[in-house]
Amino acid sequence: MASEDLPSEFDVVILGTGLAESVVAAACARVGQRVLHLDRKSYYAGSWASFTFNGLLSWIQEHTAGSQPETEELHDWSNLLEDGEEMICLSNTNSAPFSNVQVYCYTSEKDEEEEDEARSPEALNTTEEEGGRGGGDEDGVTEPAESHTAELKEEEEEEGGERRQEGAADAQEEEREEEQEEEQVEAFPSRPQVSWGDRGPHQLQKTCGLNILHCPITQAIQTEGEGPEPESGQPRPSAAPSQSEPVKKKISYAQLLKEGRRFNIDLVSKLMYSRGSLVDLLIKSNVSRYAEFKNVTRILTYRHGNVEQVPCSRADVFASRQLSVVEKRKLMRFLTSCLEETQEEQAFAGRPYLEFLRDQQLGDNLQHFLLHSIAMATEDTPTEEGLASTRHFLRCLGRYGNTPFLFPLYGLGEIPQCFCRMCAVFGGIYCLRHSVHSLLVHKDTNRCKAVIDSRGQRISCSHVVVEDGYVEAARKPTATPTRFLSRAVLITDGSVLSSESDQQVSLVTVPPSEAGGPSVRLVELCPSTMTCMPGTYLVHLTCQSVSSAYQDLSPVVTRMFRTPESHDQEGRPSVLWCLYFNMADGSAVEVEGHDLPSNVYVCSGPDGGLGHQHAIGQAEAIFHKILPEDEFCPPAPNPEDIIYDGETCTSPLGEEGEERGEEEGEGEGEGAGEEEGEGEGGEKEEKEQEEEEEEEEERDGEVQEKQSLKSEE
Amino acid sequence: MAIRELKVCLLGDTGVGKSSIVCRFVQDHFDHNISPTIGASFLTKTVPCGNELHKFLIWDTAGQERFHSLAPMYYRGSAAAVIVYDITKLDSFQTLKKWVKELKEHGPEDIVVAIAGNKNDLGDIREVPMKEAKEFAESIAAIFIETSARNAVNVEELFQKISKQIPPLENPEVDSNESFKLTRQPPPSTRRCC
Ligand SMILES: Cc1cc2nc3c(=O)[nH]c(=O)nc-3n(C[C@H](O)[C@H](O)[C@H](O)COP(=O)(O)OP(=O)(O)OC[C@H]3O[C@@H](n4cnc5c(N)ncnc54)[C@H](O)[C@@H]3O)c2cc1C
Ligand SMILES: Nc1nc2c(ncn2[C@@H]2O[C@H](COP(=O)(O)OP(=O)(O)OP(=O)(O)O)[C@@H](O)[C@H]2O)c(=O)[nH]1
Ligand SMILES: [Mg+2]
Repeated sequence: MASEDLPSEFDVVILGTGLAESVVAAACARVGQRVLHLDRKSYYAGSWASFTFNGLLSWIQEHTAGSQPETEELHDWSNLLEDGEEMICLSNTNSAPFSNVQVYCYTSEKDEEEEDEARSPEALNTTEEEGGRGGGDEDGVTEPAESHTAELKEEEEEEGGERRQEGAADAQEEEREEEQEEEQVEAFPSRPQVSWGDRGPHQLQKTCGLNILHCPITQAIQTEGEGPEPESGQPRPSAAPSQSEPVKKKISYAQLLKEGRRFNIDLVSKLMYSRGSLVDLLIKSNVSRYAEFKNVTRILTYRHGNVEQVPCSRADVFASRQLSVVEKRKLMRFLTSCLEETQEEQAFAGRPYLEFLRDQQLGDNLQHFLLHSIAMATEDTPTEEGLASTRHFLRCLGRYGNTPFLFPLYGLGEIPQCFCRMCAVFGGIYCLRHSVHSLLVHKDTNRCKAVIDSRGQRISCSHVVVEDGYVEAARKPTATPTRFLSRAVLITDGSVLSSESDQQVSLVTVPPSEAGGPSVRLVELCPSTMTCMPGTYLVHLTCQSVSSAYQDLSPVVTRMFRTPESHDQEGRPSVLWCLYFNMADGSAVEVEGHDLPSNVYVCSGPDGGLGHQHAIGQAEAIFHKILPEDEFCPPAPNPEDIIYDGETCTSPLGEEGEERGEEEGEGEGEGAGEEEGEGEGGEKEEKEQEEEEEEEEERDGEVQEKQSLKSEE
Repeated sequence: MAIRELKVCLLGDTGVGKSSIVCRFVQDHFDHNISPTIGASFLTKTVPCGNELHKFLIWDTAGQERFHSLAPMYYRGSAAAVIVYDITKLDSFQTLKKWVKELKEHGPEDIVVAIAGNKNDLGDIREVPMKEAKEFAESIAAIFIETSARNAVNVEELFQKISKQIPPLENPEVDSNESFKLTRQPPPSTRRCC
């Protein structure tokens, strides 16, 4: 673990470990460039990072509290300048693209059982506050008067906060937080420090006291969102079997902290289209071997106050109980015809997709599904765009599962790390908590010749790639992004739509509640995605910002979940803890037109789209600017190819192929909707779909990519 | 026989012989001028264990440890970790504790830990007494062994010991997580949800 000096010569220096930067790093190292990849943070992936619960609390701390972030001492490195060079300083403040960070905790701070257990000393520190409450929590019946006041206090504070936010700058928001911090820190002066996770104990302690407005709701929690067994007091059958938790017991804040490592909470919420650019790149480059994935298992939508499943695959359509036989037929016919261009659709060019759908006389149900959940379009999306999205959706179906989407185990933050590993494997050098102070530019050529790192070392290089946050505002074409995203992260105690399996991964589309409002995308992750602890779900909400994240998203949260603000939300999952924040929309960040040397390239940070096309496209474009002649991410050799494996000679591909063949066979046999499917004329369509897939295989040179559609039905 | 893939990650200071150990284990080869591991994401070797075959996927740090910048994904899903030190370098033993701590923070909970004191062919310039290292390993319930990648001493044994400590396959329910790797082929079709 000894620290060494960095080498002083590289081909490419890359600042920031977000997805686009990491892909560029991997691509450059792969073709033999010497890459230095730095991040000023102590963690990988920047704005794309995922955090443990405790890690997220530190992140929150960093982004509230008006924390003056690592303002490095001002150095004068001008002695390192050579003749004909000038110095361009990079941004040394952390001009983080995050604002309006707000946290609410709606669960009790700790539960009795834990108090009883002789636990590590840090658990004891809050007993004084909790003294009067424990019994009530345990029974889940009485609600201590104390929590009423907590609730009121919380609401008051919230209103205050909101008023101030309207039209107010972040600075004010930060001031508010600072005030709170002082109050709270004084209020609990003698608390021992909680040491948890990899962050400083003091920070966390402050976070607990400062940002979190405790607001326990303990009444009527017998009716969990999970299933229909209320009052009985039996263990929740569908909850993670490893946990022997009684039904009524709500997971406390202390438990969230204790199990904090089981959370991997992404700042960005996206999914991977199974035939999207990211999946293709992962497979093409062999980076995919570093990660594992799960299918998104359901597409849901929110309508008339209820969460409904959207039938999107043929199997779904036929199995659907919401749709009438007539609707099923119409939907199948539409989806089939949609695969080809028709004259009809040309007539609608430039007109909204909604009009086109209306013209198809599909009825309200189908129209809603097609517009909001399948095309993920709005009421004014043009027809050609809506149809293109619908086709993309359909193309992605059935490659890996019943929906077009995949999600990586441990969260999206894994993906940049995977590309970084690929870069490292090909000789790239990694250094976190390390930045670049300035670029040294040759005046005559306007090219960057070297950088000075944060320790004053001159490192020569031919190209520099920077994440937008490392560039001083004055050098950007527009000082601030023109669009922001509103994000919320919830930890809940049940799924928005309970079903046989409690391990569902769902994408929920929530149409705008009023015309012109933003539509909200909700992704619900179950514990088997390794992003949350057993017994909880991790819910990500995302929309284009209209105002603050809290104002944009809390109405949806209140309607779809149970919080102290919800009215009459029996059977809805309870929110245990939630976080709101705004972040810059990377698709609104200019990456051209900076006042920077011609061999310095800017990455925008994450965009608001559901897929990863934006970042992957950006990375590929930068790679081709740096190395116009080289191939972008050719496959890395398989370990099996370079190393003689003494025992077995069967390639893993062969084995898997066999296993799969069998499973598919089984699938065919038990297809519930199968007969019906054939009755409905599904056969013809299957052929078409298969033909299309075959074409694609040929193009990709992928031999065995087909997953029989039959097994889907 | 069923093949079980086991990810093993290697940790330890630079130059202690991590790559040399893998190279010895996988290829039964030792190279004095081994270049930093380039191009190999991980190396594999399959060994029999009871009525299973254990296919080790051995991950080397790829140098990301040099500037304290190992990514959490490096540890994900590891069945075992081998922390290597150099018996001729006291420093490399002292940083062992940091690696153990790092592993506790980022590694899976049930990971099997093995400590390997490498270069035991250089006994005459030893700086780390075997007893001390052994006691430390016992204190954290880790496997302990001294190895020489150069003379092929105890390298096989190291992995055999790990193999034995790997708990038998858990009940398939927990395991049927339905997660998969992306390959040029699709994964098995999953149960449909309705
Ligand atoms: C014709 C077209 C229309 C688009 N319309 C929108 C839009 O209305 N709103 C928006 O936010 N983004 C739109 N996009 C961009 C798209 O949303 C992003 O590519 C998306 O985020 C998917 O990223 P991915 O990396 O997962 O898959 P991709 O890499 O995007 O998917 C692989 C291929 O599918 C195509 N594709 C991707 N997305 C779409 C799509 N939505 N419709 C049709 N083809 C697609 C791409 O051309 C690409 O070659 C559009 C893209 C295209 C090509
Ligand atoms: N005498 C002796 N030398 C060894 C032994 N194992 C490794 N070495 C030497 O130690 C040096 C470093 O070995 P590596 O395997 O590259 O070490 P590493 O831990 O992989 O180093 P990094 O990849 O830089 O982290 C090489 O010169 C090896 O030849 C051993 O058992 N005995
Ligand atoms: Mg090595």
